[in-house]
Amino acid sequence: MATRETSARQTEIDLASDAPLYEQVRDRLSQMVLARELSDSTPLPTEPNLMELFGVSRGTLRRAIEELVRDGLLSAEQGRGTFVVQEERVRRVVWQRLSEVARPDSRFDLDLSQYVPDFAGANLAHKRVMKRAEWKNADVVFCAPDNSIELLRLAALESGKKILVPTYGLRRGFIFLDGAKIQKTDHALAATLDGMERFGKRLGPADLRQAGTIDLVVTGATAVTTDGRHIGGGQRYLALEWMMMKQLGVLSPIALVFAVVHDCQVVDEMVEAEPDCLLDLICTNTDEIDVWQPRDSAPTKLRRIK
Amino acid sequence: MSSALSTDQYREQIWAELAKVARPDSRFHWDFSSFICDFIGSEKCSDRVLELDALKNRGNRQVFITPDNCLEDLRYKLIQRGIPFVMTTYGIVRGFYRLDPSTIPASDHRYAATLDGFDRYGVSMPLVELQKGEKFALLVTGGSAVSNNGVRFGKGHGYFDFEWAVLSELGLTDSSSVVADVVHDCQFVNEVMPAEKHDVVVDWVVTPTQVMHIDQSSRQSGRVFWELVPGTEFEQLSIVAELRAIQNLGPL
Repeated sequence: MATRETSARQTEIDLASDAPLYEQVRDRLSQMVLARELSDSTPLPTEPNLMELFGVSRGTLRRAIEELVRDGLLSAEQGRGTFVVQEERVRRVVWQRLSEVARPDSRFDLDLSQYVPDFAGANLAHKRVMKRAEWKNADVVFCAPDNSIELLRLAALESGKKILVPTYGLRRGFIFLDGAKIQKTDHALAATLDGMERFGKRLGPADLRQAGTIDLVVTGATAVTTDGRHIGGGQRYLALEWMMMKQLGVLSPIALVFAVVHDCQVVDEMVEAEPDCLLDLICTNTDEIDVWQPRDSAPTKLRRIK
Repeated sequence: MSSALSTDQYREQIWAELAKVARPDSRFHWDFSSFICDFIGSEKCSDRVLELDALKNRGNRQVFITPDNCLEDLRYKLIQRGIPFVMTTYGIVRGFYRLDPSTIPASDHRYAATLDGFDRYGVSMPLVELQKGEKFALLVTGGSAVSNNGVRFGKGHGYFDFEWAVLSELGLTDSSSVVADVVHDCQFVNEVMPAEKHDVVVDWVVTPTQVMHIDQSSRQSGRVFWELVPGTEFEQLSIVAELRAIQNLGPL
């Protein structure tokens, strides 16, 4: 095994390095996935090919791949081979880009795997949302607990709207806040995760109907695709919340879904993912992308937003 | 309590009691291993802290507060009274910040007292800046548990020990600096506990029902025990590099 490992031809694998060989292979493989040097749609090259590519033993290669599977970037499918998890690849690429513009969270700092960050220029994206008729006409707005829309939640409260906000990780259900019933001086605090539970009513899934009919859904995202997919932090909370609202019949049939993201979070590719909550409009710091697509439940002309 | 329990046993006992009075964190829910919780009655604690001579007679000296949830009300009341303070971010990850109430509109006082709101009004203080300021008259922390001789123990106490050590290394504490620990009654353990060399023993334990003074006149001035830092959560903190640069120590 030692002789095979010392025959490394790839310059990326540094035999003199202190880092264990499998870690170097893991990191190099991960880089290749993010750079799209490996295809999403076909399995990874065969073990012998990869062993030759990296100049390492089967054991080293397997350990590297196992780590990436555990990490969620690769998935090993029995009998078919090992595949890149496209959604996770997109997430990682966007996290790298976001590090330039993301604002730290009060608890998670810049650990973007734990939260959706606020970003430089978010106010410009908010303005695009606020000038839409759907926003102006909405009485009840579902707002994700994402940092990037904290100030949009504030704007909603200030204009007397009602907002329904899930608690972080849905740990304590949803919070229902009525801007008209909260004192103006408390609006800023009520728009934060730290403050909202002091001013709103906690609703469990069974009480969601008390929120009335939701006219509009506004969310941040880890990434969005130009075909209207929302990619969250990995735990699919928005999909879960969407499902609950839909099943309980609290979503207006013409409720649209707006996403607020930084330009660098928009990914121009088709991502194969479970169809959870499809987006209708993406508002960024510089642009507005209409990604409207017909959905079975709603009359087409009502769904069109332009 | 008749016989001393192990610190793990105390923690279990205390967390069970604390769960009855604690307020959940906006991110960490009820996971007491991730944050120092706020509790019913913390408002009474802040009123008592405001009465401490160390605060009332501070002159030009500064006030330091940890980002613990049980001190949110105290931060609010300091802001309302126009008293600036220095605080760290959660986990000291972004180091020290200073909050100047004169920069905050009255409508945002409560907001600025939360960790989410603090991020909008606090100003980052690199150690070289912090060092130019006055010494600290009063330092207030929360904690998991504290003994009757002022030894803090359980999750989280290490952060304040480290903050104290860094501020001391910068020459910002002295024998007249006073340390207050705000806890719920159930977090007070009526036992004598041994202090380790890096533990900051506290002068005051403030609970919703009482204020206890503990004589710490023989407290040693704080210092960073560099040999203890490698392998801890402090190792990668930016303030570690900053402090070592100030002290010409080179990388850890």
